[in-house]
Amino acid sequence: MLEWLEGCGEAFYRAFLESDRYLAYLRGFRTSMVLSLFAVLLGVGIGVILALIKYMGNHMRKGIILRALNWIANIYIAVIRGTPVYVQLLIIYFIIFGKLDASPMVAGVLCFGINSSAYVAEIIRAGIEAVDAGQMEAGRSLGLSWGQTMASIILPQAVKNILPALGNEFITLIKETAIVGTIAVLDVTKAAQNVAAITYDLLPPLLITAAMYLIVVIILTKLLGMFERRLAQSDRR
Amino acid sequence: MIDVKGLCKSFGDNHVLVDIDEHIEKGEKVVIVGPSGSGKSTFLRCLNLLERPTAGTITFEGRDITSAKTKEVNQIRQKMGMVFQHFNLFNHLTIMDNITLAPVKLKLMSKEEACQKAMELLHRVGLADKAAAYPAQLSGGQKQRIAIVRSLAMNPDVMLFDEPTSALDPEMVGEVLDLMKQLADSGMTMVVVTHEMGFAREVGSRVLFMADGHILEQNTPEEFFTHPKNDRLKDFLSKVL
Ligand SMILES: Nc1ncnc2c1ncn2[C@@H]1O[C@H](COP(=O)(O)OP(=O)(O)OP(=O)(O)O)[C@@H](O)[C@H]1O
Ligand SMILES: [Mg+2]
Repeated sequence: MLEWLEGCGEAFYRAFLESDRYLAYLRGFRTSMVLSLFAVLLGVGIGVILALIKYMGNHMRKGIILRALNWIANIYIAVIRGTPVYVQLLIIYFIIFGKLDASPMVAGVLCFGINSSAYVAEIIRAGIEAVDAGQMEAGRSLGLSWGQTMASIILPQAVKNILPALGNEFITLIKETAIVGTIAVLDVTKAAQNVAAITYDLLPPLLITAAMYLIVVIILTKLLGMFERRLAQSDRR
Repeated sequence: MIDVKGLCKSFGDNHVLVDIDEHIEKGEKVVIVGPSGSGKSTFLRCLNLLERPTAGTITFEGRDITSAKTKEVNQIRQKMGMVFQHFNLFNHLTIMDNITLAPVKLKLMSKEEACQKAMELLHRVGLADKAAAYPAQLSGGQKQRIAIVRSLAMNPDVMLFDEPTSALDPEMVGEVLDLMKQLADSGMTMVVVTHEMGFAREVGSRVLFMADGHILEQNTPEEFFTHPKNDRLKDFLSKVL
């Protein structure tokens, strides 16, 4: 028993502390977080546009341009949500980026940003649609344009519905980016594999990596819960 | 002031308004009554183009608004205040911001002017102490009075009311009707859809009876309520009076 524990300690020491290997994990961890953050930001950027197109498609008289945009948005969302992100990653890096000399990190952000945008679009559209239709009518009846009403009345109220779901999307994304090592981005999972290649012992590095994801997800979930309660409070007043 | 000619509105196969002709003079207080689903709201919402008429023309202050471009429609709406059954106050803004948002955004007033005007109006309706409050902190009657103030802040030429007291608890109906009476006395042109027959009788200069998308009868309140001619109207009045 004691021997086994000692063995564990030894393995952990080699996987984490020896030759300052924890630095590799931390650098990898930072890469994972930065990648997820930029991907979510890109996702929100594209997602807002998609959401507005779909919202307009549902609620306005449709011109030919709007109809075409709506059609494109629907296909985009269906394709992105209907295919594995792993396949998307391979296509973007090896096919689309294959001929360019771009960094894998950029490809990673692009891939996960595009992937996330399809989900974010639905989150935002649902958030906008949850705002009572009377708010738009009240704004328009005062003479405000559609855009002005959207910007100063609908979106500020939709944000309350959107932010918590967006936080969840960020958390999901952090875990999903674990496959980005495939295209040679040194994220925390890849760092663990690299350590294992040196120590010839895969289990300890993987456990360490899993623990890092778990801790970050738990912390973010807690923060999100606190944030949601704050939002709910300002509703009650 | 408002001239409606051959107004039709259908939702698919549902012909909600059928060939309506109507003329509303400046200073008139037109009250519209009728059974549920008869098209009263739809008629009112066509007047400021919240609903697009299927056919017909609406002329407001000499301008054909049914053929106007979106930009012009926005300008026309500034002159037509609208009060909704469910108030539709902007929940994320204070009462002051609710009132000043449109005049400031549309560059009709500076922020200071708009605030000053808002405070004046709030004093007039006795809600000056609520300027910094949020809609959720107000009673239904207070919300509806604020909604009226929000419209008035745009200096409209006509005010459209769609059942402004129907969502209120009975004890709050009076305060809203009182404000509307004040407004009527001040000479405002008003078009009011309501189930408050007392208000129609007392404040209306003309009462319209609407059923199945037609205006079946209209008259002065006196004649309308004491000598109804149309059978549908007689039937309707026997139920609501
Ligand atoms: N946006 C819409 N889409 C489809 N049908 C509609 C729409 N708005 C109204 N209608 C239909 O038009 C008819 C008239 O509705 P409207 O709201 O004008 O009646 P109303 O006289 O205001 O009734 P109430 O007293 O209940 O408010 C109803 O049959 C309703 O179902
Ligand atoms: Mg109605």
